[in-house]
Amino acid sequence: MNTGKAARTGLHVVAAHSSLWGLFRQGDRNAFEAIYEKYIDDLYHYGMHCCADHNRVKDCLQDLFQDLWVTREHLTEEIRNIRYYLISCLRRRLLKNSRIDQRYQHPESWDAFEFDFSLPQEHLLIQNETKAEQQRLLQQALNQLTRRQREAIYLRFYQNLSYQEVANIMAMQVDSVYNTISKAISILKKNLPLPLLLILLKS
Amino acid sequence: MAGNNYLTYSASQLAMDESFQQWVLHPDLKNVFWENWVAQYPEKTELVDQARSLVLGIRFRNYALAADEKEELWERIWSGMADEPTQEQQTATPTRKWMPLARYAAAVLAGIILMAGWHYYNTGKQRPVVVSAHTRPGETKQLQLPDSSVVILNANSKLLYTVNNKAEREVWLDGEAFFNVKHTSANQPFTVHTYDNLDVKVLGTRFNVNSLGKEIVVVLETGRIMLNIDNKAAALYLKPGEMIRYNKGDGSFAKTNVDPSQYTAWKSGKLVMEDFSLTDAAVFMKQVFGKTLIISDSQLLNYKVSGSMPIIYDPDTMMTQLSKVFRTRFNQRGDEIWIHKK
Repeated sequence: MNTGKAARTGLHVVAAHSSLWGLFRQGDRNAFEAIYEKYIDDLYHYGMHCCADHNRVKDCLQDLFQDLWVTREHLTEEIRNIRYYLISCLRRRLLKNSRIDQRYQHPESWDAFEFDFSLPQEHLLIQNETKAEQQRLLQQALNQLTRRQREAIYLRFYQNLSYQEVANIMAMQVDSVYNTISKAISILKKNLPLPLLLILLKS
Repeated sequence: MAGNNYLTYSASQLAMDESFQQWVLHPDLKNVFWENWVAQYPEKTELVDQARSLVLGIRFRNYALAADEKEELWERIWSGMADEPTQEQQTATPTRKWMPLARYAAAVLAGIILMAGWHYYNTGKQRPVVVSAHTRPGETKQLQLPDSSVVILNANSKLLYTVNNKAEREVWLDGEAFFNVKHTSANQPFTVHTYDNLDVKVLGTRFNVNSLGKEIVVVLETGRIMLNIDNKAAALYLKPGEMIRYNKGDGSFAKTNVDPSQYTAWKSGKLVMEDFSLTDAAVFMKQVFGKTLIISDSQLLNYKVSGSMPIIYDPDTMMTQLSKVFRTRFNQRGDEIWIHKK
């Protein structure tokens, strides 16, 4: 049922997103810049989680936006979710790029789609020792998920893509996306003791 | 996710639900369904809190692009594209050599196509469709036709527009639409064909046609329209505030006086209910969202309400609102919604 927030904003289906896209396709530079401003942070975030190479991500983003402008007239008229479209473009580019340069496929120092467990400052004083131990256990548990599983979880929870969109991007069945996320939730449930749950909740 | 019976959910199941996640992760977007749900079932607060913390427990390492880097990247994107036209000029020169020949060929080809097209146009009765549009469940669209008439297409509807060789405007409607027809200087008629034996002929007026159910209902807001029923020459006229209900089954019809705003309120996103029963709600849910209401107790059908509510283009929220009005419970299996007494 997640047809995008756009469809429900009012009576008219022409939502802000799609008209932004429409203007951009007609060659409106302001619309193009608005798209850049709106999505660049999240695209960079995705790129860094994917390959952790600042310069490579920037190069890919430059190519991506340049091609987007050059080919704008040939792009699809009806686009449901610009974010989904841009992320899938960036993903293809990064994958192609990393095939050319194999060094980046298995860097030891860095974990793709790494989870974050840092708590806000004010909670740091609370049960500092147990917290460190809990985090270590949780980290260990979640690291058993594969890179692909972590990417699927990332796309749903960080980039707000629907289960269906995640499945499309990663060429997976919706069921397996669902199972992957269910696995992550059950790991959290097992490893997050109640006090930590409450801290997260209040933060 | 739609209408699932969340009351039986565990914290993990809730945390897995897409609409629940949406609510937790994006507090800036108002979510009427979950806000109501939590208010309605205070005993579920602890469970909801637990599910919420599971969803929020999934976080990722942060990477941020500094503001100056963002600007620099944007500069690089634009300056990279400044070279683009010069490259095009360079590649364009060699192609010039064969251009005259290609132009010749293109001109001949265009001529052939044109003649073939003219032949087809004259012999075949097929007219070119100028505009076509359709809406999905839960969606409405506003269209401007080439003659600058405006059509608002309700959910689950289809519209074809064409101009015939007598320069008359014709549309085919399957579903519901509100028409605001522009009167042309040449007095060209505008005809709405339904996929039944009923046509509406106008010059310039505002009216609503609904052909979705067992009846075709035409309501006139302003102006004057002529109805052609069963291809009979005897035409029927409607005055503002008049409505005709045409029975698709036996071809019978009846004219009554109504308040047109009640029938056209959907286009401004309002559901106007006057002596509105669950049967009417069922028609609405079917038309707009493609959901079938199954009413377990025939006593429920006697209950009628009056008033209005905003149409929310989300079947769950709409169902929650309707069941509040009718004081019923509902649960959903696929596209079927079962209604029970509270």
